[in-house]
Amino acid sequence: MTFRIMNEGKGMDIEMKKILCGLRYLIIIMISLLCLAPFGILLILALNTPRRNFYEGNMFVPDFYFQNFPDGWKQSQIGHAMLNSGLITAGAILLIVILGAMAGYAVARCKNKFNQTVYLIFLCCMMVPGIINTVPLYGLMIRLHAVNTLWGMTCVCATLAIPQAVFVFTGFIRALPMELEEAAVIDGCSQMQVFWKIILPLLKPSVSAVVILNGFGIWNNYAQAAFFLQDRAKHNVPQALSIYFQQFAGARWNIMAATAVIAIVPVVIVFLLFQKNLMRGLTDGALKG
Amino acid sequence: MKSRKIGLHQFMAVPAFALYAVFFIYPLLKGIGLCFTDWDGIKAAHFVGLRNFIDFFHDQRALSDIRTTVLFTLGSAPLLNIVGLVYALLMNSEFRGKSIARMCIYMPAIISPLIMGYIWYFLLQPGRGFLYHFFDGLGHPEWFGNWMGNYKSALLVIVLVNVWQYAGMTMVIYLAGLQGISRDLYEAARIDGARWVDGFLHVTLPLLGPSIRINVITNIIGSLSVFDIVMSLTGGGPGYQTETLSIYIMRMCYGSKTGYSVAVAIILFLIVLIPVAASSWLMRKKEED
Repeated sequence: MTFRIMNEGKGMDIEMKKILCGLRYLIIIMISLLCLAPFGILLILALNTPRRNFYEGNMFVPDFYFQNFPDGWKQSQIGHAMLNSGLITAGAILLIVILGAMAGYAVARCKNKFNQTVYLIFLCCMMVPGIINTVPLYGLMIRLHAVNTLWGMTCVCATLAIPQAVFVFTGFIRALPMELEEAAVIDGCSQMQVFWKIILPLLKPSVSAVVILNGFGIWNNYAQAAFFLQDRAKHNVPQALSIYFQQFAGARWNIMAATAVIAIVPVVIVFLLFQKNLMRGLTDGALKG
Repeated sequence: MKSRKIGLHQFMAVPAFALYAVFFIYPLLKGIGLCFTDWDGIKAAHFVGLRNFIDFFHDQRALSDIRTTVLFTLGSAPLLNIVGLVYALLMNSEFRGKSIARMCIYMPAIISPLIMGYIWYFLLQPGRGFLYHFFDGLGHPEWFGNWMGNYKSALLVIVLVNVWQYAGMTMVIYLAGLQGISRDLYEAARIDGARWVDGFLHVTLPLLGPSIRINVITNIIGSLSVFDIVMSLTGGGPGYQTETLSIYIMRMCYGSKTGYSVAVAIILFLIVLIPVAASSWLMRKKEED
């Protein structure tokens, strides 16, 4: 019923339209609340005193006990894990964007056999879930001495995201007009310079799409981290949290919740900074092709 | 056109491909060899023929993992697409607070599934979780059961939590697709006397083709290789009942049955390949008609 307003159907009087419009607002607000509710509950939990049972008194009013945050921070060493996750994410994103954009440019603008084959391989490999090559990769990583190193994990995460990035960048570059590049070549730019000086700056919207689609996944990576980051000093955020939480077996929710809140904050901040560009990045060519 | 010298730019796909070849293609090919061995990750591997595959199909736990993985996908992939599309249709017009609502709906997708799992585990804990006390407060504690202790309901909870978390991601891709559809088409359909349903079936759906393809395929791949959310919600429990193939692969690899776990990974790959190839072929055919 509610969707019908989109069409502004014939013979629907204004009264009816208003009701439907209001109804749609109501539904959207309810969906948004449903999506945010668990965060609210996490925050309430994080602000309770250790002694308080969750269901005592009014469960929607916490004790505002802020000591949980420094306690959780110290005991879980989450700060160190966040630094690791941050370095891995930054390194992997840099690799994905630069290598992906270079490959996208070559595929979109130089249609030789090698580039076309590479593109086809990437397209096919997009269908292979990462977990499948993780076990044989483990053997390779041992020989490269890359297990329990940040650079090893960075390369693994970048590799898993590369096909999709090449796909997005290729689509985006194909949609760009050729005239700009031709003019630059006439002015004496080499093709390499054209890429670095003209194409790369134009890629901004698709870069933020690639960052949002992959960045959070890399920060939150658990499936590969479980294999390649077993050393306590090299734990990333999910690894550190999972080890830290296991020792409580669900007994101290206040401190667990506070630690989880600390781990979520940087992600939310980055998301709020990038989210404006996300839609533009997706609509401007990223999904064409 | 002036003749171009062979420039370095023709080889710009090489770095991306080199990284990919080392960390993905080489291990993948190597894995095909390893799956016929009894390699334990350390000692030399011995060729055992098809032994690993035969063992797999005689292992009750492995067969139940296949069932769980497939059931999860049958629930999660269609629901993610339907819910994502409904959200996108609701959001696809100008209204106040649109970007805030979009942000709220996308928000769960950026949080580590591991933390999400813990939040939901807290909500659903039997006898003392949030929902129990919520229903208790309403005077109907019997509405709440031990949902995580029973295979069917635990699987249902995992599916719903997964849909809740990632519907925002599908929504964003559908929204990008919807924004590419010209308003004039709906206007023309309306003048021809088409109802909303007709417009949806004959204008929206066909033009959403590329978005549907991306969403369906990524959701099938993601669902069949699901790892984190199951790990943190049930850890595969009760017993091994909700264990998925990805978790089985990891556990076998740790259990020094590395060769065997590679064989399982190859089986998972075949399980992914069939629906992905089929749906991609079907959708391409549909688009050509």
